[in-house]
Amino acid sequence: MNKYLLIFLLALPLAAQDGRTIVAESQKRARADSQRYEGTLEVNDAKRKVSTKRWVYERLGSAGESKAVLRFTAPAEVKGVALLILNHPDRASDQWMWTPAVARERRIALQDRRTRFFGTDFSFEDLEERDVDRSTYKTLGEENGAWKIEGTPKPEAKSQYTRVLIWIRKDNYVATQIECYAKDVLIRRIRYTEIEKVQNIWTARNVEVHDLQRDSRTTMKLEKLQYNLSLAAESFTLQALRREQ
Amino acid sequence: MLLRLITWPYVRKHLLRCTLTTAGIVLGVAVFVGMHTANQSVLYAFNRTVDKIAGTTQLQVTAGETGFPEDVLERVQGHPGVGVAAPVIEATVQTGLQGEGNLLVLGVDMTGDRNLRDYELEKADEAIIDDPLVFLAQPDSVIVSEKFCQRNGLKLNDWLTMRTMEGPKQFTIRGVMQGDGLASAYGGNLAIMDIYAAQMVFGRGRTFDRIDLSVAEGQQVDRVQKSLQAMLGPGLQVDPPSSRGQQFEAMAKIYSMSANISSLFALFIGLFLIYNTFSIAVTQRRGEIGILRALGATQGQVKRLFLLESGIAGLLGSLAGLGFGLLIARGMARYISDFMGEVYGAAQRAEEISADPRLLLTALALGVATSLIAGWIPARNAAAVDPVKALQKGRVQVITEGENRTRRWTALALLALAILCVFFGHRPLFFYSGYLLSVLAALLLTPALCSWLASLLRPFMKLLRPVEGALAADSILQSPRRTSGTVAALSLSVALVIGLGGISKASYETILDWADAALNPDLFVSSSQSVTQRSFRFPASLGAEIQAVGGIDEIQAVRTARIVHEGIPVMLVAGDVQRLAKRVKMRVVEGDPRTMYQLVERGQGVVISDNFALLRHVHKGDVLHIMSPSGRLDLPILGVVVDYSDQQGTILMDRHLFVKHWKDDTINVFRVYLKPGYTQQAVRQELLNRFGQRTRFFVLTNGEIRAFILRITDQWFGLTYVQIFVAVLVAILGIVNTLTVSISDRKRELGVLQAVGGLRSQVRHTIWMEALAIGTLGLLIGYALGAVNLYYILEVTRRDIAGMRLNYRYPFEIALTLIPVMLGAALLSGAGPAEAAVRGSLVEALEYE
Amino acid sequence: MILLTNVTKEFDGKRKVRALAGVNLHIHKGEMVSLVGPSGSGKSTLLNLIGTLDQPTSGQIALDGQVLSGVADDELTRVRRDKIGFIFQFFNLLPSLSCLENVALPLHLRGWKRKEIRERASELLDLVGLSQRKDHLPDELSGGERQRVAIARALSVYPPILLADEPTGNLDTHTGGEILALVRDLHERLGATVLMVTHDRAVAESCPRTVTLRDGLVVDDIARR
Repeated sequence: MNKYLLIFLLALPLAAQDGRTIVAESQKRARADSQRYEGTLEVNDAKRKVSTKRWVYERLGSAGESKAVLRFTAPAEVKGVALLILNHPDRASDQWMWTPAVARERRIALQDRRTRFFGTDFSFEDLEERDVDRSTYKTLGEENGAWKIEGTPKPEAKSQYTRVLIWIRKDNYVATQIECYAKDVLIRRIRYTEIEKVQNIWTARNVEVHDLQRDSRTTMKLEKLQYNLSLAAESFTLQALRREQ
Repeated sequence: MLLRLITWPYVRKHLLRCTLTTAGIVLGVAVFVGMHTANQSVLYAFNRTVDKIAGTTQLQVTAGETGFPEDVLERVQGHPGVGVAAPVIEATVQTGLQGEGNLLVLGVDMTGDRNLRDYELEKADEAIIDDPLVFLAQPDSVIVSEKFCQRNGLKLNDWLTMRTMEGPKQFTIRGVMQGDGLASAYGGNLAIMDIYAAQMVFGRGRTFDRIDLSVAEGQQVDRVQKSLQAMLGPGLQVDPPSSRGQQFEAMAKIYSMSANISSLFALFIGLFLIYNTFSIAVTQRRGEIGILRALGATQGQVKRLFLLESGIAGLLGSLAGLGFGLLIARGMARYISDFMGEVYGAAQRAEEISADPRLLLTALALGVATSLIAGWIPARNAAAVDPVKALQKGRVQVITEGENRTRRWTALALLALAILCVFFGHRPLFFYSGYLLSVLAALLLTPALCSWLASLLRPFMKLLRPVEGALAADSILQSPRRTSGTVAALSLSVALVIGLGGISKASYETILDWADAALNPDLFVSSSQSVTQRSFRFPASLGAEIQAVGGIDEIQAVRTARIVHEGIPVMLVAGDVQRLAKRVKMRVVEGDPRTMYQLVERGQGVVISDNFALLRHVHKGDVLHIMSPSGRLDLPILGVVVDYSDQQGTILMDRHLFVKHWKDDTINVFRVYLKPGYTQQAVRQELLNRFGQRTRFFVLTNGEIRAFILRITDQWFGLTYVQIFVAVLVAILGIVNTLTVSISDRKRELGVLQAVGGLRSQVRHTIWMEALAIGTLGLLIGYALGAVNLYYILEVTRRDIAGMRLNYRYPFEIALTLIPVMLGAALLSGAGPAEAAVRGSLVEALEYE
Repeated sequence: MILLTNVTKEFDGKRKVRALAGVNLHIHKGEMVSLVGPSGSGKSTLLNLIGTLDQPTSGQIALDGQVLSGVADDELTRVRRDKIGFIFQFFNLLPSLSCLENVALPLHLRGWKRKEIRERASELLDLVGLSQRKDHLPDELSGGERQRVAIARALSVYPPILLADEPTGNLDTHTGGEILALVRDLHERLGATVLMVTHDRAVAESCPRTVTLRDGLVVDDIARR
């Protein structure tokens, strides 16, 4: 879900190089032509109230040119709500949301990406897939068998963050933790666990996002994960979004 | 020192009288403060609502009231200077809740809008409830303010009924706002919903009412405004949120105008009351003044003492007036705000009054100045008291005849000037000077008129009661100075009442005439209970379906919309002009009725209302630059007709033109004409049966519309009636005050009357007759002054308020009603002092000094 | 003509003041009596009681045989209007009325016809020697002239009783003498009963009978010649 998540989740190890190379390698190793999984999301807010949602996620293409559809299946109140994400290598992605009850898709404007993704601790920006060259990187050192890399988004990336710290395992190039900062304040911490190999791609099956400012946590589990399945390109359009309710 | 030794004992002795004296100032200041504060409070409430809704919005994109297509949003968002841009739909709806009235509903885009506004969503009891995803997924979701919840015992997940396009509908409260920001806008009567749900509920189609935006970081607001305006073209307006207040101000201006006229009159009346009392006080305190002078007080000291007294009286009166005014402002504010809400659909709620310190200071200064002016002549007279004569008991100084003569000549000179001003009346300065001059002239002429009228009245009074009548008439004749103050105050009140009454009568007549001509369909199909509400609209296709109902001869689809024309909101009426004109015979002021409607139909121009022409100083042949969402329309004025659909004026345009340029084919009202043999009730029932369940659908009969128009007019004049009431109150206070003063002043005289053989009943009747005579004089002069006043008020209305050409109709009914009221008040106020005079000790009265 | 039996008068104030402590007095028709006594002896009070401007606390007053106690106010006024003429020290003329109108006032109150009023008032002004001043306002007259107007007013209905409270008190000796002469002259000509309060010994002694009051009691009653 998270861009780094999506980018780094499936990375494989290579010889230690500079930050950009590591990140690029991580991304390369995670590459698959398509992806599908059923996600379960649990939000534990500051008052320890729990809400659960389920959805199906499908992605066609990889990295900067991918298209993805996320369709909620539970609970009943949100069933049918869908999200279409069209990523572009050279600019920010286009995102639309489909709400069946009003039969309208709504475009999620660029400016809105810092807002939380529907009550979870992800922001809309966290959902984008981005090209590796949208940030500059610097390796800060090594910690517990992982590289600690500092990423700084370039101005044209229009990111809400000023800095991110990424931990990438040296053995398999999988990211284990990401810390996102805005003006030196830690906003989010994302942890990747239950890392296993699926169809030859190292994948974290459990992702936990911690919003430190609201002290709220979202846990995401990936189930029935499949890579490189055949998905029709027509399914990743607004028309399809409207049609398939 | 002098004040404590000389003034205070006198005041203490005549406490009631002194209180009554300041009553005029109290009321004058109260009306001034009350009306203006109410006005300002409504304005303030409106601005505050705008502010709170605006949040951090720096600029707003609007197209008057009409809204604009959704794609404008993308253009706005694409502008490099724009930081955050969020679409908004704004509507007021009725809730089924007791005593809550309207709810202001904001439709916003929940996915991004929170950057502009702080909703402060209360955490829900169950996690799912404040879930934005659920909120968006379910179109019945609303967020309401915590205040609103508390008032109505509502909580999260409760249902709330609103009257929507699809009839009454239940919504679910999925969020609660707290705090003093947005949640307190519109008095807390605010609901937020998803913008697309709002489009559905309010029949907006794919349009937005507004886009709120903040500029990108490092950008200057005015630069972005300019470049965005240039990019969007003239049909869309890019303004800071505060500019909405300016439009509102233009609408509220009318109240300020009438408030100014009324308070000026009240202050004038107050001036006479004070003048009168002080004159009498100076006569009464002659001995005291003589002693002071004998003890070495200079003329200046005496004069200053009296001026100081009048200043203090004015100050106390003004302070009381401030308090009183702030008190009544609350009620007035609510009244104005309801009216504004009903007529203009402007969202505001004047919950609290906001007193502007500058306004209060102005009022205070006005009150004190009035009092000082009133006290000036008596103070001068006091200073001129001859100490030797004053100390001789039983000697009364007579007023110089010269003063009267000067006054009369001044009056005539002012009158001549006033008449001269009429000839140059087209210039506002001359016009308003003429108004003031004629009132001043009338006031200065009052003493002379009093004497003359009293001598005319004398035979009648004698006829009524030979002895007492003659005595009473003589009393007035012999002391014009004593009575003229009362009469002047009284006649001012009467003139004010006549003026206000006259204008309301004329307006009713004119509006009813217009309603007879223009509102002649049998039925009106509207999407709101009130035809002025345009939050809900019908799709155009409904027309054909309605037409299919049996008994309907013709329907006319009309779209009314308030647009901003040159900074002031006016009413745009788009319809099938030629068919409208066939059914409605509007009075044509300019243009050829045979051809102009055809040309309008072809989209070659517009017809405007008379009041639009008068207020904007435009005529047939002039070109109007009307801003539409697709650009500027330059349309010539083809004709001017009498139409009072809107106070700021109406532009009549062909509907096709409107649909083309506003990209909006929705309808507010269908005008339905029936075939002969069908009753309004039957067809109405049929319409309701067919459409009532399906959509928000109201059918009003011709009678109901007229009743509505009358109600609006009643409301409009409601404040006028308050002013009339105040005027009558001031008049009554005036009579009570001056009669009390003048009768207690004549205690000895009345004693002599009894000593030389006057029966108690004779004395009593004499005073009664005198009171009645004063009342009559006030009425007669007031009637005359009222005739002049009415002329000016009608002119003010035509020029500066409503642009209505009102017929000059003297309000004889009101004039007649005033007779028992004023004479009754005179009699009542004469009765008390009369009784005191006849019951008191004769011995004491004879020694009274 | 005037008969007082045990008349007392008390005034309520902070302290009860007994102005008259039981006065018995009988004045015959056509008499001219002066009433003297030091300040506060009750002279004016007595005069006001006889003039029906005030009512006694106890005792009885009878005028022309009519007992006044227990009589309604309007009846008192009628008695006053038919039987009594007042002359005050401070004249008590209405400043806004001309001399003629002041004299005519009691006649107006009686509902006389205008013409008759005019005739009678002119006649009376003539009688007091002011016919040339009839249209003047009181303020335009001298003190003596004002008092003459007041006398004319008092006489307007030819009352059988004329009450004068220090009629010369506010006038110089010469004018006072003139006024006194006028009163005496009128008394003789019209035959009215005159009761005059004064503190001027000469004035008092010019009357055939002088009653002296002290502390609310008649202490002396001298008839001359």
